[in-house]
Amino acid sequence: MSASPPSDYRSAAVTGIASPRLQKSLHGLQERFGKGAMEIWATMEDQEMRHRVKEARMNTFAHLDIILTELAENVRARGGQVHFAATAEDAIGYTLAVAKRNKVKRVVKGKSMTSMEINIDPALQGAGIEVVETDLGEYIIQLAGDKPSHIIAPCIHLDRNQIGELFADKLGIDYTNDPPTLTMAARKALREKMLGAEMGLTGCNLACAEIGQISLVSNEGNIRMATTMPPVLVALMGMERVVATLDEHREALQLLTRGAALQKLSTYVSFLGGPAGQDDPDGPREFHLVIIDNGRSKILADPEFREVLACIRCGACLNICPVYGKIGGHAYNSPYCGPIGAVVTPLLDGINKHADLCKGETLCGACKDICPVENDLPRMLSALRHTLAYGSDRWNTSQHSPGEAAVYSLWKLLITHPLLYRISLRLGRLFQRPFVRKGKMISKMAGLARGWTEGRDLPPLAGRTFAEVWKKKYAANRPQPSGSVNQNKEGS
Amino acid sequence: MDSQSAFMKTIRQSLGVSADTERPKKLYPALFTNADTKLILQTIKNRTAEQQDELVELLQANAQALGIKFHVVRSHDQAAAIVVKLVRTKNPEFTHTKHIIHHDHPDLAALQLWKRFNREGITVHTTFSPDRQLHEKTIASFIGITAPDIGVAESATLIQLTKPGCPRSTSLVPSIHIALLKSENLVADLREAYALLRQEAQLDSFVFITGPSKTADIEAQMVHGAHGPREVHLLVLCPQPAEETANEAKNPSDTAGQQTTA
Ligand code: SF4
Repeated sequence: MSASPPSDYRSAAVTGIASPRLQKSLHGLQERFGKGAMEIWATMEDQEMRHRVKEARMNTFAHLDIILTELAENVRARGGQVHFAATAEDAIGYTLAVAKRNKVKRVVKGKSMTSMEINIDPALQGAGIEVVETDLGEYIIQLAGDKPSHIIAPCIHLDRNQIGELFADKLGIDYTNDPPTLTMAARKALREKMLGAEMGLTGCNLACAEIGQISLVSNEGNIRMATTMPPVLVALMGMERVVATLDEHREALQLLTRGAALQKLSTYVSFLGGPAGQDDPDGPREFHLVIIDNGRSKILADPEFREVLACIRCGACLNICPVYGKIGGHAYNSPYCGPIGAVVTPLLDGINKHADLCKGETLCGACKDICPVENDLPRMLSALRHTLAYGSDRWNTSQHSPGEAAVYSLWKLLITHPLLYRISLRLGRLFQRPFVRKGKMISKMAGLARGWTEGRDLPPLAGRTFAEVWKKKYAANRPQPSGSVNQNKEGS
Repeated sequence: MDSQSAFMKTIRQSLGVSADTERPKKLYPALFTNADTKLILQTIKNRTAEQQDELVELLQANAQALGIKFHVVRSHDQAAAIVVKLVRTKNPEFTHTKHIIHHDHPDLAALQLWKRFNREGITVHTTFSPDRQLHEKTIASFIGITAPDIGVAESATLIQLTKPGCPRSTSLVPSIHIALLKSENLVADLREAYALLRQEAQLDSFVFITGPSKTADIEAQMVHGAHGPREVHLLVLCPQPAEETANEAKNPSDTAGQQTTA
C-alpha cells in the first residue's frame, strides 16, 4: 500500500466523536443502509445465495491462477492488453508508461479504491498529468484536498454548507447549499473534463473470466463516461476481483448492489473487455487491464485470512459497525475503513503499523451478520490481535506491546496462585487509595494504566471480595437442597 | 508474458500447489461450467401473452419507482408521437440548438423521425457506423434514443449491447435517454437475462441501465442527473391486444385518428 504515515487512530477517533456533524451523518447512514441491508438479507427469498457466493469466491481463490489466466486470454483475444503487476510500483510504472506513450494530458478517474491503495495520483501528477476524480463524492474530496471517509459515500463527513463553500471557492459559482444545484454545477464542470480527457482510469468491481470482461457499477454514470469517451482506458484490478462464470457474476453482482445501497441493481453496470470496434465512434482505442497483487498473495497464502479476499467492497459493514458509526472513516487512515479496513489495511500495509485498527473494533459481530459474503471479520480481528500479542514471522510482525504482554504474564501468575492473588488484592486496595475520588470512582490512574481512565472512570477494588462476603453473610443460611424453597419465601 | 508467469507462480506458491507446474483449465472442467440454461430459455420462449402482459405491468411498477417515465405504445407511430412531443417540449441542457440522435436500428428507423421535424429547427442524427462525426453529433444532442436488446422486469433494467451502429454514448451523453423496448424482449429477471446474454456468439461491451443517473453524495439527498441522462423514458412496444386488432380491422380510421392526436 501507499506509504501512509503510521495511524493516529486515537486522536482521529476523538476528533470524530467530538464532531456533531459527523455523528449526525453517520447515524443517518447507519439507520438507513445498515438496517436496510439487514432487512434485505432477512427477507430475501433465496436464503442460500450469500452462502453460495462465498463458496464460489473461495473456490475461485483455490484456482486463482487458472481463472486469471483464462481472463487474460479472453481479454487479449479481443485485442485488450493485460499486465500483471506484483507490486504497487509495478502497476504505477505500467500505467504511467501507457499515459506517456499516448501523450496524455488529463486522466479522468472512475471511483477506484485500488488506485488509492497504490497511490497512483502523485505519480501521474508528477508527470504533468491532470488527474480528475469524477465520482461526485470523490470530486468533492479532491477539491477539498481531503480524504474519503466511506467506501461508497466518500464525503459523508462533509455537510451541504461546507460543500457549498467549497464549490463557491473552487468552481466560482454563487454560494448555495442546495444539493441539486451543487450537483448540477459539478455535472457541468466534470462533463467538460470527461469529454476532453485522453485517458480513463478505473477500478474493477468484478471481472468475469469466462467472457473476458470487467464489470463496473455506478449510479452517477461517471464510470460509463470514463470508459466510453477517452481514447485510452486503464482498469486497475485487485487480483481477487474475479469470478469464473456468468452465473457467479450474476449472484455476486446482486449481493454487491444490495449490500452497498439496497438496490436490486445500481443504475449502471458496464461490461467491457477490450478496445472498441473499428467503426465504433466511442469506446477506448486502447484497453489495458492491470491485475495487481500488492500483498494479496500473502493473504491468499494464510488460511486464517484468505477469506477476507472474498470481500466485494460493498461497504455494508461500515453501515452497521458501532465503532465506525462513532469515530468515522478518517481514523482508519486508509482508503479501506470500517471493519473491512481494520482487517485488510493491516494485512496489506503492515500489522504493526496499523495495530490500533483491530484493537479498536469491539468484536460485536455485526459486520459478520451484515456481510453479503459472510466474511467472519470478528474472527480475523481476533487473529490479528493474536498476531500482535505474540508476533508473527509470516507477517513480519513483532510483539506489539511487550509491556502489555508482561502485565498479562503477571496476571496469569496471580490468578493461578490463590495466595499471591489475595496478597496482591490487599496491596492493590492499599495503593489505590490516593486515586479514589469522592464519587468513589477512580478517574485517573498513572503509568501504563493511564489509558483506562482517559475516557471513563473505573470502580475501585472492593473492600472485600465476593467470596469473602459470601462466606461471612450467606454461606451459613444457604437454602437446603430440596423442599425448603417455599418456606424461605414465606419467611422473607 | 514474463510478469504473468511470475505472478501465477506466486499464486500457486501461496496456494501450496506445485509452483512451477502450470495448471491447465481442461483439468478443471467444473470451474467454468454454468447451470444449464435450456430450461430458462424455454420458459422465456413459451411465455403466454397474458404472462408477458404481467411482466410489462411488473416492469412498469418497478420503472416508475425508479423515476423512469413509462409509456406503453401499440405501434411505431404511437411511439414516434411520444418522441416528437418530448423533442418539442423539452429543452437542451448544454446547447442552444435541438439535436437528437438515435441508434441505427430497424425499430428506430420505423419511427421515421427524420421526416417529422420538417419545418422546425430540429436536427435528427442516426449513429450510422462509419460516420466520423458521430462523437461531435452525440455531444451536441440533448436526446439519445436507443432500442435495448433486453429488458428485465424485476429490476426495470435495460440491457444495451454495443454493436456496429449502436454505440455506447447514445444512451449516456445526451441529457435525456429514450428507450424503445419491444415487449417480446422483456424477461422476468436477471437469471433469464444472463441466459440470453450467454446465447450471444460474440459478446462485446454491454451495459445494464436501471433508471436515470443519480447521486446521493451530498448529505445522502438523491439528485437525478449526476453524469448520465437525468431523464429516462421507456416506451414499451406491445402488440395490440386481440380484440383491438379486430376492431382496427373493422374500423381502421379510428386508430389512425388516435395516432395523429397522440
Ligand atoms: S467485508 Fe463484507 S460487508 Fe464489508 S465491504 Fe466487504 S463484502 Fe461488504
